[in-house]
Amino acid sequence: MKKLKRKKLNGGAVVNENGSATREPECGKKQKLAEIQQALIRDPVDIETLRRAAATKGGLLTDELRRKVWPKLLNINVYDLPHKPGRDVRENHKDYNQVVLDVRRSMKRFPKGMPATERAALQEQLIDMILEILKRNPQLHYYQGYHDVAVTLLLVVGERMAIAMLDKLSNYHLRDFMDPTMDSTKHILNYLMPILEQVDLELHDFMIRAEVGTIFALSWLITWYGHVLPEFKHTLRLYDFFLASHPLMPIYLAATIVLHREKKVKQTECDMAMVHHLLSQIPQDLPYELLIGQAQELFEQYPPSLLAKRAALQSCKSLSISTFQAFQRSTLHQRPDCVLQRLTKAQGSTTSSHAVQHTGLEAALPGERGQLWGKGNRMVKMAVWGLSATLGAAVLAVAQTAMEWGPEVLLQLF
Amino acid sequence: MAESGSSLELSSSLTSSTLPPPRTRIFKIIVIGDSGVGKTCLTYRFCAGKFPEKTEATIGVDFRERLVEIDGETIKIQLWDTAGQERFRKSMVQHYYRNVHAVVFVYDMTNAASFRSLPAWIEECKQHALGTEVPRILVGNKCDLQDSIQVGTDVAQQFADAHSMPLFETSAKNPNSQGDGNCRNSDHVEAIFMTVAHKLKSQKPLVLSQPPEGSGGTINLSRGRDDGGDGARSWSCSSC
Ligand SMILES: Nc1nc2c(ncn2[C@@H]2O[C@H](COP(=O)(O)OP(=O)(O)OP(=O)(O)O)[C@@H](O)[C@H]2O)c(=O)[nH]1
Ligand SMILES: [Mg+2]
Repeated sequence: MKKLKRKKLNGGAVVNENGSATREPECGKKQKLAEIQQALIRDPVDIETLRRAAATKGGLLTDELRRKVWPKLLNINVYDLPHKPGRDVRENHKDYNQVVLDVRRSMKRFPKGMPATERAALQEQLIDMILEILKRNPQLHYYQGYHDVAVTLLLVVGERMAIAMLDKLSNYHLRDFMDPTMDSTKHILNYLMPILEQVDLELHDFMIRAEVGTIFALSWLITWYGHVLPEFKHTLRLYDFFLASHPLMPIYLAATIVLHREKKVKQTECDMAMVHHLLSQIPQDLPYELLIGQAQELFEQYPPSLLAKRAALQSCKSLSISTFQAFQRSTLHQRPDCVLQRLTKAQGSTTSSHAVQHTGLEAALPGERGQLWGKGNRMVKMAVWGLSATLGAAVLAVAQTAMEWGPEVLLQLF
Repeated sequence: MAESGSSLELSSSLTSSTLPPPRTRIFKIIVIGDSGVGKTCLTYRFCAGKFPEKTEATIGVDFRERLVEIDGETIKIQLWDTAGQERFRKSMVQHYYRNVHAVVFVYDMTNAASFRSLPAWIEECKQHALGTEVPRILVGNKCDLQDSIQVGTDVAQQFADAHSMPLFETSAKNPNSQGDGNCRNSDHVEAIFMTVAHKLKSQKPLVLSQPPEGSGGTINLSRGRDDGGDGARSWSCSSC
């Protein structure tokens, strides 16, 4: 059989089947920011532009923008968020012990400088949040690594929005991983080798000979790399990308990572242990932007439907894949936040977002404000108002970080 | 970098010894048991020489290795640290049972449920065609937590006897002070894995990367050093 020449991936701008990434003009950060803002106030929201922004260079740029765009990517109304879980959420759930064990061990996921008490408070929120989703969705089963996804959301958007997002993700993008068994997950992993085979047959054959399997990429896939990347900012960059992409995109990215390390892999002893070990260690200095571009390119060239024709991939059904189109369609008709706010209020929703009038603060606090204000937590409300009115930007910045970390933190501040 | 990241361990263990001759023998040992029993801590302790400050849930399989010298021969010990959650063991870990030379079953002495899971783990091994000729040991971890012990030594010893395995009680956290209060200067966790390595070395010659052929008869481990802990009994491998 003839050896295929390794096809070149340039990682440049590509045109995506669902339009999630068209040619990106050489635009600076500022222009991108403006584009995102524009897309957010369009009616209906310009979801194509938001997807493209999330996938192209720099992703969504700031956590503030993430708090606005992430919910749109998942079709979530930020003015109608689920309530904080009650105490009973912890009562007799079969996965309670496992969740607690995993969350308590997840110290590394929190910012280095965060005081232990704040971290502990967030960990408790994380436990509640995960159990809340599991209780609401009896068809979903907890897996180790789910907590890595949950913590990423929690740290950016706060508890209530994180619950809304995790609920959506669990029913769509992560759905296959949450079956009672890991068979569907294995099925998804099975897409990896066929991609490699298309691009670099030699590398593919080497890995087959080494019998390395694909478990080295398991934690990448089911945590969206949250479990393995040392830098949180890189995790966020990838979450931007995956939230705007097809559920198989993490596999395409896995392929680009393996291809990126092709020389190293081929130099390794052709042995399962050695190759597994090499591949499961993600290098510190991966060129994420380049790899993201390449992953999109691979997705274009070898879409899942094409790969699925291969024998090994034929038999299984993936819920994440089969529901994706409907999911994407559901995101097309969202109203901008200003309209949503009015509508939701008119519907007499319990979230009393009307209390938020200070625009600077509003931008800073979208994740938690529903909870803080909605529940009439007067102390916090007063404190933050007082702060923003009298002490100016520097202190507000502190409060903003605190808000990102959760209301417990804020309460301790005052 | 991450305390429990295995790249560090690998490189440090490799650099601390001279490079192995080309045909270094490799002993592959798989470590299994319920989530939270301390598999990651035990393997880290052996390969990196200390208790990891932070561990995280193991997703899939992690790999650690270390070069050791036994009777003048340099041997590479590969430890496969597996995920404890049941869903992983069913379809994911299976790949790694192949070509394994020895199995370490771990339970948490402060968690009776983890002890009760052992028959399921043993069954799991059988299903992966790991016969009785593959050495197996039982490790009760966290013996430093004296006040919360739920699994007594007697019960555990009975279980180990019934399955022809030696039992070790130890602590990945504090392996030097044993439960009986006797302080030892040797590292007990180290001794456990070294015992397995000795056992493997004493078997029929192992071919690189291949499972041991059915080794016959009862083999008694001769202790090359005074490293065996209390629990280290002779190997009563029923004739196979
Ligand atoms: N006191 C004490 N704690 C320990 C000991 N060994 C492990 N632990 C703790 O037990 C918890 C679980 O340890 P891990 O090594 O992560 O458990 P594991 O078996 O690898 O768990 P999974 O990866 O989920 O299968 C951690 O919080 C450790 O700090 C020990 O010997 N003594
Ligand atoms: Mg572990």
